[in-house]
Amino acid sequence: MLFYGKRSFFRGLVFFFVVLHISCGDSKEFTEPLPETVDFNFHIKPILVQNCYLCHGPDVSSRKADLRLDVYEGATAELEEGGHAIVPGKPSKSLLVARINNVEEDMIMPPPDSNLKLTDREKALLEKWIDQGAEWKEHWAFIKPTTDLATNDKLAIDNLINEQLAKKGLEKSAVADKNVLIRRVAYLLTGLPPSPTDVESFITDNSKDAYEKMVDRYLNSPAYGERWARHWMDLVRYAETKGHEFDYTITGAWKYRDYLIRAFNEDLPYDQLLKEHLAGDLMQKKRYDAASGNPESPLGTAFYAMGEGTHSPVDIRQDEADRIDNMIDVTSKTFQGLTVSCAKCHDHKFDPISAADYYAFYGIMESTRFSPVPADLSREDEKTVKTVNDLKTYMSQLVADKWSEGLKASEKEALAQNTAVAEESATDYQVLGDFRNADFGGWVSDGLAFGQETTLGNPLVDKATGRLMGLDEGRASSKTFGAGVFGVLRSPDFVLNTDFIGVKARGKNSLVRIVIDNFQLIQNPIYGNIQQKVGESEWNNYKLKVGPWKGHKAYIEILPGEYNRHDYILPEDAYVEAEYVIAYDSLWPKEIRHKIPKGTLTANSNKPLALSSKLVKSLNGKLKKGQLPDRIPELKTALDSSLNLEKSLVNTSFFYGVNDGFAINSPIFNRGSYQEPSEEKIPRRFLSALPLGDVPFKSKGSGRLELAEAMLHKDNPLTSRVMVNRIWHHLFGKGIVETVDNFGLQGKLPSHPKLLDYLAVKFQDDGWSIKKMIRHIVTSEVFKRSAVRSDALAEKDPINIYLASFPVRRLESEAIRDALLVVSGSMDSTLYGPPIKTHLTEFMQGRGRPNKSGPLDGAGRRSIYQEVRRNFLEPMMVTFDRPIPFSTFGKRNVTNVPSQSLIIMNDPFVVQQAERMAKQLLAQKELTFDQKIEWIYMRTFSRKPSAEELAKAATFIEVLRGMENQSEEEGLDKETNIWKDYCHSIFNLKEFIYLI
Amino acid sequence: MSKYHNFMQRPLSRREMLGICKGGFGTLAFASLFGGLPLVGCDRPKKGLAASSDLYLGPHYLPKAKNVIFLYMDGGVSQVDSFDPKPRLAKENGEDPRKKFKVDNTQFDNVGKILKSPWDFKQYGECGMPVSELFPHIATCVDDLALIRSMTSNFPEHTNANYFLHTGSGIQGRPSMGSWMTYGLGSENKNIPGYVVLDGGLIPPGGLDNFKNGFLPASYQASVLRAGAEPVANIRPQESIQNLQEQKLGFIKQLDQNLIGKMGEVDAVESAISNYELAYKMQSSIPELTEFGAESEATKKLYGLDSDDPHTKGYASQCLLARRLVERGVRFIELTCPNVGADRWDQHSNLKQGHERNAHAVDQPIAGLLKDLKSRGLLEETLVVWTGEFGRTPFAQGSNGRDHNPSAFSMWMAGAGIKGGTIFGKTDDYGYRVIENEVTIHDLHATIMHLLGLNHEQLTFRFGGRDMRLTDVHGHVIKDILA
Repeated sequence: MLFYGKRSFFRGLVFFFVVLHISCGDSKEFTEPLPETVDFNFHIKPILVQNCYLCHGPDVSSRKADLRLDVYEGATAELEEGGHAIVPGKPSKSLLVARINNVEEDMIMPPPDSNLKLTDREKALLEKWIDQGAEWKEHWAFIKPTTDLATNDKLAIDNLINEQLAKKGLEKSAVADKNVLIRRVAYLLTGLPPSPTDVESFITDNSKDAYEKMVDRYLNSPAYGERWARHWMDLVRYAETKGHEFDYTITGAWKYRDYLIRAFNEDLPYDQLLKEHLAGDLMQKKRYDAASGNPESPLGTAFYAMGEGTHSPVDIRQDEADRIDNMIDVTSKTFQGLTVSCAKCHDHKFDPISAADYYAFYGIMESTRFSPVPADLSREDEKTVKTVNDLKTYMSQLVADKWSEGLKASEKEALAQNTAVAEESATDYQVLGDFRNADFGGWVSDGLAFGQETTLGNPLVDKATGRLMGLDEGRASSKTFGAGVFGVLRSPDFVLNTDFIGVKARGKNSLVRIVIDNFQLIQNPIYGNIQQKVGESEWNNYKLKVGPWKGHKAYIEILPGEYNRHDYILPEDAYVEAEYVIAYDSLWPKEIRHKIPKGTLTANSNKPLALSSKLVKSLNGKLKKGQLPDRIPELKTALDSSLNLEKSLVNTSFFYGVNDGFAINSPIFNRGSYQEPSEEKIPRRFLSALPLGDVPFKSKGSGRLELAEAMLHKDNPLTSRVMVNRIWHHLFGKGIVETVDNFGLQGKLPSHPKLLDYLAVKFQDDGWSIKKMIRHIVTSEVFKRSAVRSDALAEKDPINIYLASFPVRRLESEAIRDALLVVSGSMDSTLYGPPIKTHLTEFMQGRGRPNKSGPLDGAGRRSIYQEVRRNFLEPMMVTFDRPIPFSTFGKRNVTNVPSQSLIIMNDPFVVQQAERMAKQLLAQKELTFDQKIEWIYMRTFSRKPSAEELAKAATFIEVLRGMENQSEEEGLDKETNIWKDYCHSIFNLKEFIYLI
Repeated sequence: MSKYHNFMQRPLSRREMLGICKGGFGTLAFASLFGGLPLVGCDRPKKGLAASSDLYLGPHYLPKAKNVIFLYMDGGVSQVDSFDPKPRLAKENGEDPRKKFKVDNTQFDNVGKILKSPWDFKQYGECGMPVSELFPHIATCVDDLALIRSMTSNFPEHTNANYFLHTGSGIQGRPSMGSWMTYGLGSENKNIPGYVVLDGGLIPPGGLDNFKNGFLPASYQASVLRAGAEPVANIRPQESIQNLQEQKLGFIKQLDQNLIGKMGEVDAVESAISNYELAYKMQSSIPELTEFGAESEATKKLYGLDSDDPHTKGYASQCLLARRLVERGVRFIELTCPNVGADRWDQHSNLKQGHERNAHAVDQPIAGLLKDLKSRGLLEETLVVWTGEFGRTPFAQGSNGRDHNPSAFSMWMAGAGIKGGTIFGKTDDYGYRVIENEVTIHDLHATIMHLLGLNHEQLTFRFGGRDMRLTDVHGHVIKDILA
């Protein structure tokens, strides 16, 4: 604002300006020469937006004189009064120039009653721009970034920044001293203070590349991943519970946190990270964790499921719309820096994002199904699955070979009878799924449990004797690989139109569920009847009452395992089998006709016994009568190996992520209300203003993979820019584009557009390596500058836009807490694992409050491992501005309030750390007084105390000693008390919580 | 100019003031220092507030109310049993409601028969407002109340409805109205937070997020005050030796000043230093609040501090505390409900017992608060708001409870700018739906803001590409209840 010299609405209030002795600075701004080339986006549009668009902008209703200046056609059209507002290349013929320079009150633009007035510089810019041809440009962020700089130029950042400084006449600060540098690098790269040993060795390292080596050490420290994962968690509203009334657990949320830490530590290329977030479950080539062998890619999708979860909403469709809106909001801000959610009720007021774009996104999310996902399905397991499948095929083949003559005969009989059963139309029910045939009839089998087909025709072999007992009849079974294996059988979407849905099923510790409008938190009140436990080994008719939701979209889930307060668990004996699923009113129908597909299936190499159910029955009959051989010696060996292998496939670890559903194209909801859908349905696609934005997705599912590909298209102007800007933001405390989550027209313009584009191009050229980008930035001179500012700098660039010095900043909540643990010696630097339970104070009340409080010191673990309960957020984190997890926060607020002081002054945790530090200090018997103070300073400030500071410390310690001696209090020994109070005071120094 | 012209705000540095005034919108905050001058002709800034988020903005026009006491009747008081008598329920008691009118889906879907009110209504005051036997004390204040019988909510579930009532959105994570008010107006007392929640025992469903700052800076979140030795978190010094903390703070200040000397002027660090002075003062000003020693016996009795019912006593002390906070210039005070052992006002069963116990706990203290405020002349500048998140069904849930009803409920306001003795809006013969002058939660917010001198369409904060408002794109000031 300052820097484009925008005019204020309050210019009329001269009184205040005078009182405050404020110069508006016009003349100063004018002393800067006009740019060589005047750019529409950077120089002209801000002037037009601020001064002209109210009456001559895109909004028809407020437009005057039928003139619009926001588009070329409008500005150059013939005016009502004759002539043209703008004649490109001819300022003298452009009436705009005449009007802005007019002195007559009724002629000048903007008119006096608007309280707007152009500065001389603004007028000159407009004239020069018209003179240069008045080129309108697309919004800067939608133009693909290019650079003419070599992307391996080590000095590029410095040159670009210094170029601006020179232009503005700003003198840069010197490079900071080594103590400051190592503290800065350690905190910004790892979120922790450097150890005194590291400080010493950096100070004494006089080699030319000492700084680079130090940077690399921190980049390669595991703490780096913890720091940068936390940055990312702000974007995806990371939380481990669902909030709302009872704050239910989000299954395995922390596994996503660990995934992020690993990803950043391994420097997973950003394009891969993006793809795994949007479509990790759909990627052909999955990535596995090298150490555990567990799958990584699907974990990325957990971010979709991190939102708030409402149980028992009365308006379930609205609940879905809210949930999807949040997913669109987070996805579009995080990856594209665009606020697509603003187009929910109408076309975006400022950005070229239409309501149709929003509903194209809506369809993608609506076609995505939430699901528990196994976190332990390793690469080994995938191999085992293949081997077991091969063994099963082999067994079928054995039978098929042995029975070949009998089979042929039976097939002939069957054909002679023309096997198709005449279709009788049932009147009292509809079949939604019939698993008595070979396939699932359009249902999808997610996970391993149900395999790819029903059990029909599988050889049944006696485990003990190896004797062939017959061929299996058809049903869906989660025991393809035995009990305790995860998988879900899901129907396509359909519209509920009966009172009941019935499932013939059997099993143990399992569920059948009706998922209406993608609603997952099924429970009483209201939704208790749309889920049934399957817990008996006998076949049973399970009835689900769906009458109240006629007309709603739904799908059915059959799955082993249970939800314990919405936290998914899979007991090892859990399994479920189903024969069919029907929809009906009133009474369960007497008989569910089994529709057998016409003809017999031809055997193929995958399924040598692909037979109709009728044929299976006839063969089993023959077997019983001894007409077919039942002794096939190889069967037992194959079965034994198969059973043995299956044991390893049991799933015990899960996270809440997504599976693909069936493509749904959404209508536009008029004014954002689902009750007012448009006739037309919007095909799922990317944003129309961006490359590939007009190509409808072809996927039969959600199209999330195509969405990822569109974002990663080489011509996409945002993906790379948005991410490098985030990196810059985290390193300097401010982005090149300050509004890090909004690159749209309402966002701020980049302070250094060339630099942003250069970094964006380099990022891609360097294989989307985040570490390389960080290294490139922190090894620049700009990053190394001292934070000390001259008065002149403070005057000319008060908010440090141009980075002549390093911006001073307060440490984030996590860094403050973690630093306390480190300096007191109580940090447990264990990586990963389940969260440490939240420490509950008396002030943290309400429903869903855990029964037990976690430890005061969070077990000494870093803040990233502390539980994030939506309804019981840690006060210290919130007070020091960790965002409340409901939307994307690329940039944290930085507040400065007494409650922060109160925490460091009085919070028992802080006092506890001071005491621990004192004890650590006193455990070293041989230290002199000066050495004690030095020990403390090196830990807390990464530097030695000055002589003055030593003297002050000595005086202060004496004061403390005096008070302690007078005190009659029992408890700690006095020496510990004295040093506890000293350390506590040190924690309260600004130098401790500020990065300078 | 005092450097700390309001409490929970980061004080403006010279440079910021300069920057802001250049941008244009600091002038309002500045003008408000002149003591609530009507800001005629001043347009509110529409853009860019996020950048200077820590400022408070000052009122848009002359305010009627300086403070708000929000008496939250958590769980949903039954309108037909409190302020909206419906004789027809008695006539048709026990009949099937579905034969009388269309019944919406409810939270528990356990629709019983039409249920008459277990309580009688009588007319009170000069205005003759009918009040049920549940509230004999509040009934004596009706000439000060503006009753709205035509409230509606968008949500029939507690949590969504709580968020909606508190934040104007049914979704978790939006700024609470108290946060908006302090963002708009700041606090008048720098030693006490501007937005205080007095936790009477029950935090509403949805938890502390009902009182959070959402996307507004954390400075605007509520401070929760509880009864006991430590009324606010971390307010008690950890040092057991007298003056030890002062010595430490002195040492800290000395070294901090050295840092400033070394760094040159750094606004953020300077403000952080100043915060210590405020924090230090809060340590004594907050515990002082909860000391009722100076209150007269008559006052204590008026509130019901001598009651045999421990819940009445507890709520009485919350109400008295609220008055003391008002006296100290706290902008927005919310009282949560006491835990009377029969749940909040959420009587899905045992309506009679549950409502009676809740009413008994709050009735006398609330009446005491209104009378005390009035006698001290504080009611003129304090807006008292009494409401639940929704109403209850006129038919039974099961046999003797009532389910949630967002289609109609009653609430009242009293005090600054309110036309006492008013009844506004109308429900059908069953008290089930609003038939005249519907008032939405957005309208309620707009009206509260209006009384505080804030235009609900102009108090905005840029977030996620939009200029966000408490009232979103809705809300009308309810003029008919204003004095």
